[in-house]
Amino acid sequence: MTEARARTKNSDKNRQLEGRKKQGDFICSLCDVSAPYDYLGTTPPYAKSIVLLEKAYVMKDPFAQGKEGHLVLGATCCLCDRCVCLGQDCSLFYTKRFCLPCVLQNIQEFPAEIREEVAKKKPLEKPR
Amino acid sequence: MSDQRHHRHRPEEMHHEKKKSKESKSSRASDQRSSKHHRHEHRHSGLDQSGGYDEMTSRRIQEASCSRDVHQRDRKKESSDEGHGNKHGRSDRRREEEAEKYRHKHRKMERVGDRDKETYRGKDVHVRDMAREDVRPRDKHGRMEGMREQEEEEEEWDRQEMWEFNWEEYRSTLNKIFFRDEDFIVRGTPEYDDFWKFFHRYCKFQMKKSGDQRPARPHHSSPQQKTLGLPDKYDKRYRINFSIKTKDVEEKLKYLRTGSRTNDDEDLTPSRVAEFRLAWLHYIDFCQKQKLQKLAKLRHDQASLPIHQYRDQIVQAVRQHRVVVVAGDTGCGKSTQVPQYLMSAGFTCIACTQPRRIACISLAKRVGYETLNEYGSEVAYQVRFEGSKTDATRILFLTEGLLLRQVTTDPTLSQYSIIVLDEVHERHLNGDFLLGVLRALLRAQEDLKMVLMSATINIKLFAGYFNGAPVIQVPGRLYPIQLEYLPIKQEEQTSKSERLDPRPYLRVMQRIDHKYPGTERGDLLIFLSGMSEITAVVEAGRLYAQQTKRWIVLPLHSTLSIEEQDKVFDIAPEGVRKCIVSTNIAETSITIDGVRFICDSGKVKEMSYDPGAKMQRLQEFWISRASAEQRKGRAGRTGPGVCFRMYDESEYDNFQEYATPEIQRVPLDSTLLQMISMGLRNPRKFPFIEPPAMSSIENSVAFLKEQGALTEEETLTPIGRMLARLPVDVVIGKMLIMGTVFHVIDPVLSIAAALSVQSPFHQSARTNPDAMHARKPLESDHGDPFTLLNAFDEWIQVKAGGRNSSRKWCRRRGLEEQRFYEMVKLKEQFKDLLKDHGLLEGEQDYYYREEERRRRHGERRRLQELKRRHDKGPRKRKVLKLEHEDIELSGGDDDDDDEVDIKDIEFKLKHDLNQLQETSNQTRSFTLRDVLLLKVVLCSGLYPLVAIADDCNTYRRDSEQVFHTKSKQFVVLHPTGVFCSNPEPLQLPHTEGKQGVAQLKGQVSSKHQLLAYTSLLETNKPYLVNTMRIPAVQTLMLYAHCLDTNQDCTRIVSDYWLELTFPESEAAQLLLSSVIQLRVTWAKLLGLRLQESSRRKKDDDDEDDTSRKARKLEKVLARKLTEFLSSDVEYSIRRLGNSEIKNLFVGPLEVGSTANKPVPTLFSGECRPHPTKGGVQINDYLTYNCLQDDGMSVHSFMAHLRNSWTCPTCQVDMAVTLLERLQHQDQCQNKQDVSVDESRQLSGPSSLERLRKPWFCTTCQQEFSFTNTEILKHRRTHAQPAATGEGPTT
Ligand SMILES: [Zn+2]
Ligand SMILES: [Zn+2]
Repeated sequence: MTEARARTKNSDKNRQLEGRKKQGDFICSLCDVSAPYDYLGTTPPYAKSIVLLEKAYVMKDPFAQGKEGHLVLGATCCLCDRCVCLGQDCSLFYTKRFCLPCVLQNIQEFPAEIREEVAKKKPLEKPR
Repeated sequence: MSDQRHHRHRPEEMHHEKKKSKESKSSRASDQRSSKHHRHEHRHSGLDQSGGYDEMTSRRIQEASCSRDVHQRDRKKESSDEGHGNKHGRSDRRREEEAEKYRHKHRKMERVGDRDKETYRGKDVHVRDMAREDVRPRDKHGRMEGMREQEEEEEEWDRQEMWEFNWEEYRSTLNKIFFRDEDFIVRGTPEYDDFWKFFHRYCKFQMKKSGDQRPARPHHSSPQQKTLGLPDKYDKRYRINFSIKTKDVEEKLKYLRTGSRTNDDEDLTPSRVAEFRLAWLHYIDFCQKQKLQKLAKLRHDQASLPIHQYRDQIVQAVRQHRVVVVAGDTGCGKSTQVPQYLMSAGFTCIACTQPRRIACISLAKRVGYETLNEYGSEVAYQVRFEGSKTDATRILFLTEGLLLRQVTTDPTLSQYSIIVLDEVHERHLNGDFLLGVLRALLRAQEDLKMVLMSATINIKLFAGYFNGAPVIQVPGRLYPIQLEYLPIKQEEQTSKSERLDPRPYLRVMQRIDHKYPGTERGDLLIFLSGMSEITAVVEAGRLYAQQTKRWIVLPLHSTLSIEEQDKVFDIAPEGVRKCIVSTNIAETSITIDGVRFICDSGKVKEMSYDPGAKMQRLQEFWISRASAEQRKGRAGRTGPGVCFRMYDESEYDNFQEYATPEIQRVPLDSTLLQMISMGLRNPRKFPFIEPPAMSSIENSVAFLKEQGALTEEETLTPIGRMLARLPVDVVIGKMLIMGTVFHVIDPVLSIAAALSVQSPFHQSARTNPDAMHARKPLESDHGDPFTLLNAFDEWIQVKAGGRNSSRKWCRRRGLEEQRFYEMVKLKEQFKDLLKDHGLLEGEQDYYYREEERRRRHGERRRLQELKRRHDKGPRKRKVLKLEHEDIELSGGDDDDDDEVDIKDIEFKLKHDLNQLQETSNQTRSFTLRDVLLLKVVLCSGLYPLVAIADDCNTYRRDSEQVFHTKSKQFVVLHPTGVFCSNPEPLQLPHTEGKQGVAQLKGQVSSKHQLLAYTSLLETNKPYLVNTMRIPAVQTLMLYAHCLDTNQDCTRIVSDYWLELTFPESEAAQLLLSSVIQLRVTWAKLLGLRLQESSRRKKDDDDEDDTSRKARKLEKVLARKLTEFLSSDVEYSIRRLGNSEIKNLFVGPLEVGSTANKPVPTLFSGECRPHPTKGGVQINDYLTYNCLQDDGMSVHSFMAHLRNSWTCPTCQVDMAVTLLERLQHQDQCQNKQDVSVDESRQLSGPSSLERLRKPWFCTTCQQEFSFTNTEILKHRRTHAQPAATGEGPTT
C-alpha cells in the first residue's frame, strides 16, 4: 500500500515525553484535512474493545480528556489507494473504503440506497 | 421528503416524552420557543439510507460548532480574536440561540441520567470475569457468524414492535452487557448519557421509518458485471467500518438470566440485544464522524486566516534571521498561528509573551486545541498565579513580567530556543524593558531567536531597534467601515469638573434607529474616557431605551463585577440592539462580536505619575491616531460597519501619532531594582527602545535609596536583593519582609495580598443602603487595610462554615468574590516566595484523624466530579431581557444560585479550608498590642507615605476632612475609605479636644495620630487611598530618615516637615534613648533573620545558634517595642511652613555656637559635626542640636549640664551631658551583642566600623581589620585543612 501523502516526521524526544508516538501527519488527498496520526492498523491502542474493519489512520481522540478514546482519521481507498479522510464528502464505507471519485466511477455497482445518497451529495461542494 | 416528516423525530418531541415522568415547567417554555425556532431551519440531508444519523450528524456538528464558539468566548474576550465563525448574520444568531436552548434541555436530561445511574449502581454485581476476546470467525464483511444468523431471524420481526419496546426498563441489564467499566463507553460518563440520548432519537427514527413502510425497492440487480464484490442487498450495517469486541451477546444474556432474580429480562431477546448493539455501533460511528467534522472545521478556519498565506514566509524568515518582525492587525491570526508554525517547523522551546495574564491562559487553551493538544501540556501557560507547564511543554505563553523574572534566575534564558514577543506595540513598561534585555541577550546567547509581533503601528521603530530586522506584514481581515465625523457642539462640551452631557451620544442612537431597520442586526459600542462619563451616558441611554424598546444599554469597565462584564457577551433579543458603553478596555483587551457601530469620543483617561508631588494622576487626554484607528476597526470585524467620531477631522489630524508609552508615565522603581539585580550596573545607560526622562530614573533611584533597597553606591542592599525577587511593589515587599521578622506573617500576607489586587468592594454598592449596612461589621476603625483583612477573614469563615454560599454572602455586601480568590492565590504565592528565600519556615502539615481524612477524601471526590461535569460546559450566552437591564448591583439577582459555583469547587479542591480557617481565627483574636505591632510592620513599607490632618478639620464636615502630605497639601480622603464616612477615630479624644481654639494648633496630647496611605491619586481632586491611622510620634521616630533635635530635645523635626514639641525635656530624652535602642536592635534582628534565611537555604550547621540569638533578640525587641508604642509622652505636632524649613538649621561652624563646644572625649567613637546642618551627628538618622532655637538660654545651659546617669545597657554610672548620653547609648547598644553583630550591611557602616580592629592572622600572615565575629570566622577557615594551634589573641 502506498502511503501517498502520509509523510513521516522525524521523531522528537519532546513529543515522546507526552506518551504518544506520533507516526506522521495524515493528510486527506481530497480535502486536505490534516492531523498527526499515531497508529496505522486495525486495533487502535486507545479503544481496546474496538476492531477496525480496515487498516486506518488513527489518533488519540484530541477532543477527549483521559487515556481512552480514539479518532479514526481516514484510510486508503480500496480501489485507487488514495489516502482519504472519513468525511462524508471524501469517502464512504460499504464493506470497504471507497473514495468518492471511485464511488462515482463505479456507481452502478452500489445499491440504490447509496446511489441516492451520493446523488444528493453531489451538488454539495466541499467546504473550502 | 416532506418537511413535516422531517420534524417528527426532533429532539424536543423526545423530550416531551421524557417529561411525562419528569415534569418541568421551564423546559416546556423553552421547548415551545425552540420548536418555533426549528421552523426557521432549512436544512435537509439524507436520512433514509444512512439510518438517520446523517441528518443527526449535521445537526450535531452545527451545535458542536456553536457551542465551541461560545466556549471560546473567554478567549475572544482577550486579544485573540482570530479565526472564528462569522456570527453576524441573522440565521447564524438564531441558530446559536436555538443551540443554547437545546443545550439547556440536555443538561436537564443529564440530571435524569444521573439518577438512573445511582439506582442501577447497586445492582451491578457480576459479569466481570468473562473472557472478552471474540474468537468467533467472521464473514467476509467482518461480521461474526452468530450475528449473521441473528440478522436473518431479525428480518421476521415486526420492526415497529422492536422500536416501541421500552428499552429503559432494561437499562440495567444492557449496562451489564455494553457499559462495563472496561468497555468503550463507561456508565456515568457524559458519553454514556449522550449515548442514551442518541439511542432515544434513533428509536424514534427507526419506529417512524418502519411505520412508513415504503414499498419494497426493486431488488438491486444491475445488468452490468460486478467487479467490486459488494453485497447485493443494502444493509446499513455494511456502512460501519468497525466492530466491537463484546462477548457474544447470547452467551452474556444466558449468564445474566441465571444470575438475576427477576424474569423481566425475558423480553430482552437476543435479537433485541443485537439491535441495541447495532445502535451502539451507529452511535460510535456517528461520534467519529462528528469529531472528524470538528477537525475539518478547525483546519478550514485556520486556513482561512489571513496569516495562513504567510506561513512559509514567516518560517523561512525565522530560519534565516535572528529577529523577525511580524506586523498584522487584529484578526489576522498572528497570536494563535505563529507559535504553531514555529512548533511544526521544529522549534521545541517556544516562549510567547503577552502583556496580559488572561491572554496567556486563553491563548494556551486555544492553541492547545488547535494543535490537537487540548488536554496535553505541549502548549501551556505560566502567569503570576499559576501555570500548566510540564517537561513536555513546547509552547509556553507567559507574561512579559514573568519572563523578566526568569532572566534574573536564568540570565541567558537557555530554556528557550525562540522567544515570541506579542503585542509589542502596546508599549507596556515590562514590554519595553524586555525588548532591551533581550536585545542584549541576543549578543550573549548565540542560538536564541526572536519574533516580535505587533499591530501595524510604528513598525519601523521595532525593526530599527533590532538593526533592520526583516518585517513581514500581514493584512488584517477587516470589512469596509464607513466613517462619519460628528463633532460635539460647543454648548454640549463639558469642562473637566462637569458631568458629561449625554445628548450627542443619544443622537447617535437615534440616528441608528432612523437609518438602519431593526431587522438588520448589529450592536453599538461607545468609547468614553472613564467611569463617570459611562454612568452619564448609560443613564440617559436607558431612558431612551425604555421609550423605544430597541436598545439594551450595558456599561463595561474594569471595576465592574465579572458577571456584569460578562453581560456584554450576551445576546439581545430580536429587533433590539446592545449599546455597550465602555472605556478603552474594549479597544484591545476585550473583543465583542456582533458590533457594527462604533461611537468614539476620542478621549481616554490615563494614569500618569507626578514625581514631584509623589502622586498618581488620572487625567483625560485625546487619544492617538493609532488608537482611533483601532477603535474604528472594532466595527468591521464581522461585517461592514459604521464609525462615528465625536470630534472634528482636523482634531483627528492633530492627534499624537502613537500613544505615550507607559515608560514615560509611571514610576520606574521596580524596573530599576530588577535591572540592578540582573547585574546591569548603570540604569541610566540602559538602551531602552525609547528612553524615559532622566529625571524619572533619578527619582526612582532616590526612592530606592530612601527605602533602603539601594546603597549610596547604587548596589543592592540585602533587603533590596530580596525585594528584587518578590514580584510586588517595593512597599508591599518591605511589609512582607518585616512581617517575617516579627512573626506576624499571616495577617501581613493577607493585607499585602489585598493591597496588591483590585479592591473587592464594589463602588456601586455605596448607593445601596442594604449592602452598606451589611458591610458595616467588616469595617475597622483602624483603617482600610484592616477592613480588607476583616473582609478576607470573614469570607474564609463563610467558606469554611459551608452553610452559606460565599457567592451570596459577597453579593449581599457588594463584594467581588473573584478578588478574594485572587488574594488567596497571591497570599500562597507570597508565602512560597518567602519560604524559597528562607524567610519563612515550612509549616507542619495539618494532621487529620482517620475519619476526618476519609470524609475529606470523599468530599474531594465529589468536588472533582462536579468540576469535571462543569468543565464540559462553558458559560452560556444568555439572551438579555429588555426590562432586566438596570440591575447594576447585585442585590436580589439570585437566579443563578443553583448553578454550580465552579470557583468555589476549584478553591475547595486546591486549599485546605481547615487550615485557612485556623489562621484566620488567629487573626481574629487580635489584641490592641497586636494591632499596633501590625501597624508598625505595615508602616515599614508605607513610610514615608504619611499624612497629617489639617488644623481646622474639626470645623469641617465628615466627608471634607483635609490632610497634608510632605509633597502635596490639601488632599482629601478617598470616598471608598472607612474614615471618609467615619472620621471620628482620627480625632483626639474629646476630653482633650474640648480646648479653646487658640490652643488647638499646638494641642498637647500623647495620642496624636497620622494617616498612612498606599497611594495618592488625583482624579478631580487629590485623594488618599487605603488609609490607616497610626500613632504619630512612634511612627516618625521609628521610620524617619532624619530626626533633628534642638539642644534639650524638646523639639524634634522629622524628615524636614513635621515638628514635634515636647513640654518635658526629660520625657523627650527618654523617648529618644529608647528609639536609639530600638532601631539598633531592630537592624540587628533583621540582619540575623536575613542571615538565617541564607543559612536555611544552605542548610548550614550554624543554624541553631543564629536562630536562638534571633529569637532572643526578637523577644527583647517585642518587649521594648510594646513599651515604646504604648508610651504616653505628651507632645504637640505640626507641619512646618516653607519659610521655617528654609531656616531650620544652625548650619556648620557657627563660631561661638554652643553646638561646637569641644566634643566630649569620654567615648571612643567619633562624633562628627554634621557638615551642613550643624550640631552633632549621632548616627545615620539622628542629628543632635542642629535646630535653630528661638533664643533659649535655659536650653543652652541645660546642654552643658552633667547629670548622673546609669546606662540601662551596661549598668555603668556616669555623669554625662545629654549629648554624651546619646552617644554612649548609640555605641553601648552596638557593643552589647558584638557576638551576634554580623549584620554589617544593616546596622550602618558607622557603627560597624567602630567594632573593627586590626588583627594579624598567624596562619596566613596577613593583617586584617575584623570584628570579633569575623576573627572567629576567619580562624574557622584555617581550622579544617590543617589543625594548627591557636593564633595570637587580640
Ligand atoms: Zn477528506
Ligand atoms: Zn479511490
